[in-house]
Amino acid sequence: MRKKRLGFVLSAALALTACSSEGASNEKRGNAEEKEITFLSNFPSETLDPHLNYTAVRAGINETLVKINEDLELEPWLAEKWETKDNGQTWTFTIRENVTFQNGDKLDAEAVKRSLQRNIGVSEAMKTALKIKEIKADKQKLTIVTQEPLPHLPSELVHPNTAILDVDEKDTGKKPVGTGPFEPVGFSAGSKLELKRYDGYWDGKAKLDHAVFTFNEDANARTLALQSGDADIVYRPAIESIESLKADNSIKTDVVPSLRTHLLMYNNVNPVFKDKHVRKAFDYLIDRKETADSIMAGQADTADGPFLSDFPFTPEYEKKEYSLEKAKEHFDHAGYEMKDGNLVKEGKPLSLKILTYAYRPELPLIAQMLQSEAKQLGIQIEIQQVENIDEYIAKKDDWDLATYSLITSPRGDASYFLNSAYMEGGAINPGKIDNSELTDRISRLNATLEEEKRNELAEEAVSIIDQERLHSFIVHPNNFAAYNEKVKNWKLSKSEYYILTKDVDVIQP
Amino acid sequence: MKMIANRLLELVLFLLVLSFISFAFMKLAPGDPVRYMLNIDDVAVSEERIEELREELGFNEPIIVQYGLWLVRFFQFDLGISYMTQQPVTQELAEKLPATLILTFCSVVIMTLISVPVGSLSALYKNKMIDQVSRLFALIGASVPSFWLGLLLIQWFSVKLGWLPSMGSDSILHLILPSVTLGVAMAAVYVRLLRSSLLESLNQDFVISAKARGLSSFRIFWFHALRHSMVPVITIFGVSLGSLLGGTVIIEVLFSYPGIGKLVVDAIVRRDYPVIQGYILFMGLFVAVINILVDLSYRYLDPEIRLKEGGST
Repeated sequence: MRKKRLGFVLSAALALTACSSEGASNEKRGNAEEKEITFLSNFPSETLDPHLNYTAVRAGINETLVKINEDLELEPWLAEKWETKDNGQTWTFTIRENVTFQNGDKLDAEAVKRSLQRNIGVSEAMKTALKIKEIKADKQKLTIVTQEPLPHLPSELVHPNTAILDVDEKDTGKKPVGTGPFEPVGFSAGSKLELKRYDGYWDGKAKLDHAVFTFNEDANARTLALQSGDADIVYRPAIESIESLKADNSIKTDVVPSLRTHLLMYNNVNPVFKDKHVRKAFDYLIDRKETADSIMAGQADTADGPFLSDFPFTPEYEKKEYSLEKAKEHFDHAGYEMKDGNLVKEGKPLSLKILTYAYRPELPLIAQMLQSEAKQLGIQIEIQQVENIDEYIAKKDDWDLATYSLITSPRGDASYFLNSAYMEGGAINPGKIDNSELTDRISRLNATLEEEKRNELAEEAVSIIDQERLHSFIVHPNNFAAYNEKVKNWKLSKSEYYILTKDVDVIQP
Repeated sequence: MKMIANRLLELVLFLLVLSFISFAFMKLAPGDPVRYMLNIDDVAVSEERIEELREELGFNEPIIVQYGLWLVRFFQFDLGISYMTQQPVTQELAEKLPATLILTFCSVVIMTLISVPVGSLSALYKNKMIDQVSRLFALIGASVPSFWLGLLLIQWFSVKLGWLPSMGSDSILHLILPSVTLGVAMAAVYVRLLRSSLLESLNQDFVISAKARGLSSFRIFWFHALRHSMVPVITIFGVSLGSLLGGTVIIEVLFSYPGIGKLVVDAIVRRDYPVIQGYILFMGLFVAVINILVDLSYRYLDPEIRLKEGGST
């Protein structure tokens, strides 16, 4: 009797499982004619509100007035063209005709104005970046007056948080209405976004019918999702899986250098680092190739300066090399000598503290490598790992060096990095860099409108940073993605702002 | 009735103390939400602007003043607005909590399905083969990190066999791997706990007396010994429920499961104080309520407690 009961329970369980599996495959069969793709990224998304998160732009829901292309140049998007007067304080953008929101409403300057007004209302960051004083709308003409001349305003409008949103629609956190080729149909915060094609897209219908965006912060889980077929395109699979993914014929990989740079900061509050020779000596102690090959497992390019060479304002950097001999020569110039195994100046051994943080696991390893190289020259370096590097370096002066990482030119313009990292009071100038020649170039850049002249000034500024070794730039980590061979017309973007585009396609089995 | 009223009063006091301690710790811990709000790694910002915004948001006020303001809003059932999403914290938590509770419930079911039979058999066949195997299972289960077990399960059931989805939360199938991962890790502890508790119960006078009265072994085991053995197991379960709910974070991240754990991890990274504070209170409330229920369950599980309490009231 008992056996019979057990048998019944097991059969019922099996039947239930079978039903569920059958249901899933039926659903797949039902959608067989439709083209769908699943992206899996590590970018967490708790909201779809484009003014607070990048996902809506990445997923092709919302679009910005200006975009940055793969040559890292600005190009028109929802704005057809723009012009300025008053040395960059009054800007007029011509909004593209024949663009509709996904609810069918026409996009005009008034809609853009209301979107930008909401944007600076909900985002302190955008309010600070855009410095908007007044916006006027007249049919397709949008006029923005800024609080001060802002020659790089078009570049700031590349920022995904400035994406244009229909502000009359209420549920912007879950179902924002934009002008992009896809509209959201379901969103589970932090986990999944489902999209369908918007047939009225102004730039031609998208090739895919549906797309799914999923998020997972675990690199191994992302790799397994690609291998199991749960995802078609996976961002940043586990580094250790790269070789096996490359060996798999059904999977393709795409690698591009990112706009991010890992660097070493010198704290100029410590008089030691006011001496250019000391900074140069430390620069020679950095083994960039080893960092890229070993610490970054080959997933990085060595960096001779802050910006990738593709930018028009990138100068010919001085060639960087790892050389203990040359480092020693510069320490000699700076007045240091070797005594009892220690590098000393005026009887005082050189002993320093380097800050690092675990959020980017390669940075503590870079700090360890520098510690080990410095030891060979008799320099004692103490490593301190802090939880929140930005706050620590801003509030305390008891550090000498810091490993750091940031995207130096997120929107195709040098002014963000130059102003933040080298101007007095800049939020990422905790090392109190104060170089009058550099300040002059950046001030002039801030007041210059003409693009060619701006590039010249930025190039001069970067050359000064390079020659003075105000920071030591180490590597540009790569963006890496792997995808199923059935995916077509998809390319990893350097900026990572545009993931799902109208051109992405899939070959049906 | 009086006991329940006392417990509720204790609960309110507990929440007040918890909210003050968590608020104070959060404010004293390193981390500055203003820097995240201003996206300093993406937007050119001056230190002056950072200070200005800090002042505007009242972050420069003494902690006690900030806590007072928070408490006033709390009594109006307002936990504030999330910095990350600009949505009310209560809404954020209410959306995520059910998913975590479902995952926790399923894990507890898996844990029970493993630990009750295995723990019982280990006690009944003490030091026999099955007991040795269960000991090995407990040792492995307790030693294997749950994220690694999760990865192994994905490798087998999603990649190699293709039976189950590796991530997400669309259907009941999506719950299986995360629940098994959590359930197995928990079961390892409870198998041993139940075994030792059962061994103790089986030697108690009431079991000997039941045997003498001629009750069947099946009845003695299921209705007397096992029930009595559940008291320490449920006590430990009640106490560890908080860490169990907290422990789902890793599994939620691994399986891309949209629970409250992932939300709070993001909130901690971005120093989204209203969300962190709301989470601590929600969890505190939940664990306290469960512990009250655990206390009440003793009356059902152990007649001795019921009789004692009945006599005193």
